[in-house]
Amino acid sequence: MRAWKAVVVVNALLLLLGAGGFTAWRRTQAANAAAAQAVTWGGPEREWTGIHGVVRAVLPDLGIIVLTHEDIPGYMPGMTMGFRVVAPQIPDPLSAGDTVRFSVRGSPPLVVVSAIEKAP
Amino acid sequence: MSALGLALRWAHLASSIALVGGAVMLLLAGPSDRPTACAWQRGIARVARWLLVIALLTGLGVLAHQTALLEGRASAAFEPRALARVVTQTQAGLVWLVRLGMLVVAGFFAMGPVRVVTRLDWRALHGEIVGLALIALGLVSAAGHAAAAEPSPLRAIGVDFAHLAAAGLWAGALPALALLLRRAAREDGADARPYAVLAARRFSAWALVSVLVLAASGIANAATQVGDVAGLVGTTYGRLLLVKLLVFALALGVAGLNRRRFVPALGGDAVTVGRPAMKRLAAAVTAEALLMLVVIGLVAALGVTPPARHEQPTWPLSFRLTTAGLQTVTPDVRWQILVGSQIAVAGGVVLLCALMLRSLRWPLGAGAVVLLATGGSMALMALSVDAYPTTYQRPTVPYSVTSIAAGAASYGERCVVCHGRDGGGDGPAAPRLPRPPADLRAPHTGQHTAGDLFWWVSHGIPRGAMPGFADALGEEQRWDVINYVRFLGALESARWMGPKVDPGRAWLVAPDFSYAVGPAPARSLRDYRGQRHVLLVLYTLPASRARLAQLAAGYQTLATLGVEIIAVPTDSSPDAIKQLGDEPRVLFPIATEGSADIVAAYRRFADAPHVELLIDRQGYIRARWAARGPTEREVNLLLAEVQELNEEKVAAPPADEHVH
Repeated sequence: MRAWKAVVVVNALLLLLGAGGFTAWRRTQAANAAAAQAVTWGGPEREWTGIHGVVRAVLPDLGIIVLTHEDIPGYMPGMTMGFRVVAPQIPDPLSAGDTVRFSVRGSPPLVVVSAIEKAP
Repeated sequence: MSALGLALRWAHLASSIALVGGAVMLLLAGPSDRPTACAWQRGIARVARWLLVIALLTGLGVLAHQTALLEGRASAAFEPRALARVVTQTQAGLVWLVRLGMLVVAGFFAMGPVRVVTRLDWRALHGEIVGLALIALGLVSAAGHAAAAEPSPLRAIGVDFAHLAAAGLWAGALPALALLLRRAAREDGADARPYAVLAARRFSAWALVSVLVLAASGIANAATQVGDVAGLVGTTYGRLLLVKLLVFALALGVAGLNRRRFVPALGGDAVTVGRPAMKRLAAAVTAEALLMLVVIGLVAALGVTPPARHEQPTWPLSFRLTTAGLQTVTPDVRWQILVGSQIAVAGGVVLLCALMLRSLRWPLGAGAVVLLATGGSMALMALSVDAYPTTYQRPTVPYSVTSIAAGAASYGERCVVCHGRDGGGDGPAAPRLPRPPADLRAPHTGQHTAGDLFWWVSHGIPRGAMPGFADALGEEQRWDVINYVRFLGALESARWMGPKVDPGRAWLVAPDFSYAVGPAPARSLRDYRGQRHVLLVLYTLPASRARLAQLAAGYQTLATLGVEIIAVPTDSSPDAIKQLGDEPRVLFPIATEGSADIVAAYRRFADAPHVELLIDRQGYIRARWAARGPTEREVNLLLAEVQELNEEKVAAPPADEHVH
């Protein structure tokens, strides 16, 4: 093959390969970043148990309890937020400042507290 | 192990550079039908094939060496699985894969399966080899220090790419040029002499451009990796760079000589004219190439040395030059600087005259040197201050409440006797000292670096009878003491701060702290940097209850304006949330852990039962409000201050959590 033709062909191949490789690399990067977030929204119902938290407020009329909780692995980092409680109702003696252990159940972001008890 | 790695890198870099340069030199010289020139071209092509093999093998060697380092065991270098892991899962590995791929493709062309019929073919073939080898060489940057540069690795990689490419295009071509000149200077090389002269002239112009690119990108590289003079003279990396610059300067000297003397002397196309000059030029170019081989060795060493920016520099001189103290010097010294600098400027003018007037060059030159030396030393002496080996070291312990608390304890044990409780130099033992201790709160500490303080705390000040504490206190403890001294200065200057934000003026750095609410993971003030303002509330029950209720009611609005409230009980109770009870319904963070250190440090900014400090996004305390009586205060006042912060256009640089 003539040299100039070989150069043109090889450069075209390299460009194609480079573009393809770059796209694949970007896709892997994006996939890795998404995996690091690791929050699967929707999907089948799941349950997380034994989460530690502290009660910040109780709103019995709404059936909502506001908790500052530790990290919930695979769902969310530790934060302060309100949860709907379904386990028949919010246990009466709970008040702000109580440390609790609780479980949440559901398909994120639709989860409810399925069990909650005072932790020693 | 590391010597092997270094040797592999050296061989790899040198062969990659020579490969690019050899092909470039062929292109510069152009095709020829003279037998000697053809023999030279065949020779270069043969060498290029060998260089490709060496570059590939040493490249694989570097990759294997890197794998062994990453895996932490020497045998990993020979395991295909470990190699595959590095190549596919690390950025550097991927870059090496691409580089080696480029070399393989270049090897395909160099082995010569393609037909060269016309000049177009010839140029396309050699241009392709240059291009591929150049990409392979330049991509070294994406697997080296530049890839880890802050804040913009892409820019650093681009600059380093240009540096490597320029090195390949210039230094790499030197051996090929030397070979051509050598052949043409031989008795039987007369047929190629005009060809060699033309090649040398073309290379000379080419080299000028390449060296300019090399110098510019080298300066930018140094700015990224070294940063300052202390890094240059005080670290291994910086000193290697200095040696590299020295050898490079020698090579440039030879290059300059070639350009001014030897290349012009090549003129004359006759068979005999120019032959001695050509021999001399060949020898000089060979010397240049050998010097550049040393430079490449130093580059390989720099590649495996941590960049100066990430090292603690050891200052080698007993003084340094600074303009930081100029505000406070006496009029005498100011005159000295003024007169000295004017004499030096006059010296500079005389020097220029000396360069322009050939007949008076020597007497004028001598006069200029005397003027420059006198004026320069007069002015610079006034700007020089004492310096120590640790002068430019950066604190290893961040400026945080924990460090301040530890520093306060050491200070109370060892420093308070002379320096006094607040650092004013009025301790009980102070009057008996030969020199009164310095006022640690005074603003003149701007003339001293944190490293200066570290030296004094470690080794004392003999003429002031201050003892050293290097034996009594560990390194971290000494940095703690320095953080505490910085804190004392901050307390002094914070006395003027009020409840209103002073627009555009951010100077009081908030010591970092970390806190936790119940079982939630701990957070630190630093986490809010660049994200939110923080209203730090030190509260005492029951007096603060009313104010907390106000803040709880306004929390939504404050959060919308970008403020997080962090409330810390002054009694540091772990039951703080419980004590607050169900009303008011407080949903912002109440620190139940870490509060003791926060209270200990921040309460000294305002000693009252209820204190609020507004810390901006950049980490500066901007407003202070303390209540001794009733704690209620119009929330709109706070909102107005926050608006003031949000409207600020010129943001101060992020607060340095280290002593300056």
